[in-house]
Amino acid sequence: MFNKILIANRGEIAVRIIRACKELGISTVAVYSDADRRSLHVALADEAYHIGGSAPGESYLVIDKILDVAKKSGAEAIHPGFGFLSENEEFAKRCEKAKIVFIGPSAKALRLMGDKITARKIAHEARVPLVPGSEGAVSDVEASVVADKIGYPVMIKASAGGGGKGMRLVREKGEFQSALRMARSEAGSAFGDDSVFVEKFVEQPRHIEIQIIADGHGNVLHLFERDCSIQRRHQKVIEEAPSSAISARTRKKMGDVAVRIAKAVDYQGAGTVEFIMDQKRNFYFLEMNTRVQVEHPVTEMITGFDIVKWMIRIADGEKLPYKQNQIEMKGHALECRVYAEDPETNFMPSPGVIDYLRVPSGPGIRDDSSIYSGSEITPHYDPMLSKLIVWADTREGAIEKMASALREYIVIGVKTNIGFLLRVMGEEEFKEGRIDTGYIERHPELLKPGDVDIEPVLIAAALAMYNADSPEKAEQRPVSNWKLFGRKLGVSGGQVL
Amino acid sequence: MTYTLKFQGRIYKVELEKDDNQIKVEIDGKTVTVEYKSIEDNLYSILYEGKSITLGVVKKGHNTQIFLNGELYELESISERDKRKTSQIASGIQEIKSPMPSRVVNILKAQGDKVELDEGVAVIEAMKMESELKSPIEGEVTDVFVNEGDAVEAGTVLLVVSSE
Repeated sequence: MFNKILIANRGEIAVRIIRACKELGISTVAVYSDADRRSLHVALADEAYHIGGSAPGESYLVIDKILDVAKKSGAEAIHPGFGFLSENEEFAKRCEKAKIVFIGPSAKALRLMGDKITARKIAHEARVPLVPGSEGAVSDVEASVVADKIGYPVMIKASAGGGGKGMRLVREKGEFQSALRMARSEAGSAFGDDSVFVEKFVEQPRHIEIQIIADGHGNVLHLFERDCSIQRRHQKVIEEAPSSAISARTRKKMGDVAVRIAKAVDYQGAGTVEFIMDQKRNFYFLEMNTRVQVEHPVTEMITGFDIVKWMIRIADGEKLPYKQNQIEMKGHALECRVYAEDPETNFMPSPGVIDYLRVPSGPGIRDDSSIYSGSEITPHYDPMLSKLIVWADTREGAIEKMASALREYIVIGVKTNIGFLLRVMGEEEFKEGRIDTGYIERHPELLKPGDVDIEPVLIAAALAMYNADSPEKAEQRPVSNWKLFGRKLGVSGGQVL
Repeated sequence: MTYTLKFQGRIYKVELEKDDNQIKVEIDGKTVTVEYKSIEDNLYSILYEGKSITLGVVKKGHNTQIFLNGELYELESISERDKRKTSQIASGIQEIKSPMPSRVVNILKAQGDKVELDEGVAVIEAMKMESELKSPIEGEVTDVFVNEGDAVEAGTVLLVVSSE
């Protein structure tokens, strides 16, 4: 096993990886930017090195700096976490050149899956269902032929696209030509490239993904699915496993498909194959994420499989000791991403200092975070504060447990989405499992807090002022045990026992 | 002791009277008897009318932030002098400021444009996300100080809206 691993990341995932290393008896090396000197990953690691400015481009994204620290500290492997350099082909290659193990797939797998068109091609060759549509960019005439063939509604998308620009939803044939013209002109002005492609529009899709894990000995396993349909700004907020939408048969089918894709690129390590699923339970390949996912804990909760530890073991050459039929799932897990943001202003990030923090606990409750009372949420990084994960024997049980845990959570100093998450847990459609990626847009009422119980809030505020005005009168501070001990013995200050 | 608190746009008078472990609190004419303990400096437990309520409390100067059941509430204590001024908010001249270090993506209004209450006036990007800034009053844009693409600090005034 490795003696020392460098963690090229920050925040809760760095903390998660450091803990896994400690359990495996591996020394840990943290790297940190200006903004992160007081971060938890620095405190928990055995060694920590400063690597530059707060902007990711000056620190966590600089390959040379990370490799310098790896060499200086004698780290034998680097775990990239997610984001930053985790899916960077160049970084994987440079690690290889420096004879440092990159904990993840090969540079080749990163490249193949990193390019959307190549990934689609590989999926197609592996007989994986794709959203029906044109193969690449099309002319005006071809576009309308494809649209007729796949049937309306269809989506016109800019080939160079992103951020919804150059995208048009067309519900009827009569609207097609004018929508095509608009999409082309928008794409042309936004990206300097007016080529477009046509795709079947999937109505009310669910986002379902399959976790896979592959060793370097040809064994590829899937660890079932996660349903990540509750999203805002195209980012996941609530994830669960298993999905309430799919049958055991579909689960097996999706798992087999995901394993085929992984095998097609000689995948190694943990990865996720993402699909969208329509209302008739047809599923289509979206992309493959070649790293550990934010939401990996829900899979760990239902399978008992420690994904992060296995990533390390596999990178060290270990063989997976299980067969697919030995992987079982039990119960239901939910994850809520607690963000420093304001749901009422379209989830605007709310950076600041956490003045007070209290984290829920109890059976089946897991809080993966890197914050503490006094830590600062800077605008330089993603505003996720923590991932609250619960496990219970049923979905209903998990929802109730999550609601109860969210009610115990206290965060003062920054705005959070905790109240919003709590309202989702109580919403009927969510409780019935009728969710899709349009869920939050469909429920604007969940963005606003309900009526507050004014009395306790006013009482607490008045008490806070009273305590501040007259701390000695407040009395409510815990009395020192030494003082009590002294009183009991009848001693006072200055006397020697 | 009497405290005047502004909460969600309303002014409340809270009368607090301490007698051993019992605290009498009068809010808007209604009196309740509360038993109170501070569990930690910032964690209060109050018992009253058969309810046990635990709240997170942080007081900073005139402002108190309270966390209860997933929501963060902010209250402002008001002195006699401030009270006369409060009637003037939400009118007059409002500066639209960037709430955090960010990049200006879009200026939606030009100098001289009319704006509605809560209408978007600018779009900024921070922490990989775009956010729209809205006008807190109805009025006219009198000044625009930044250009699209500018990097701005927290508190930088982007535009000024006037209702006069």
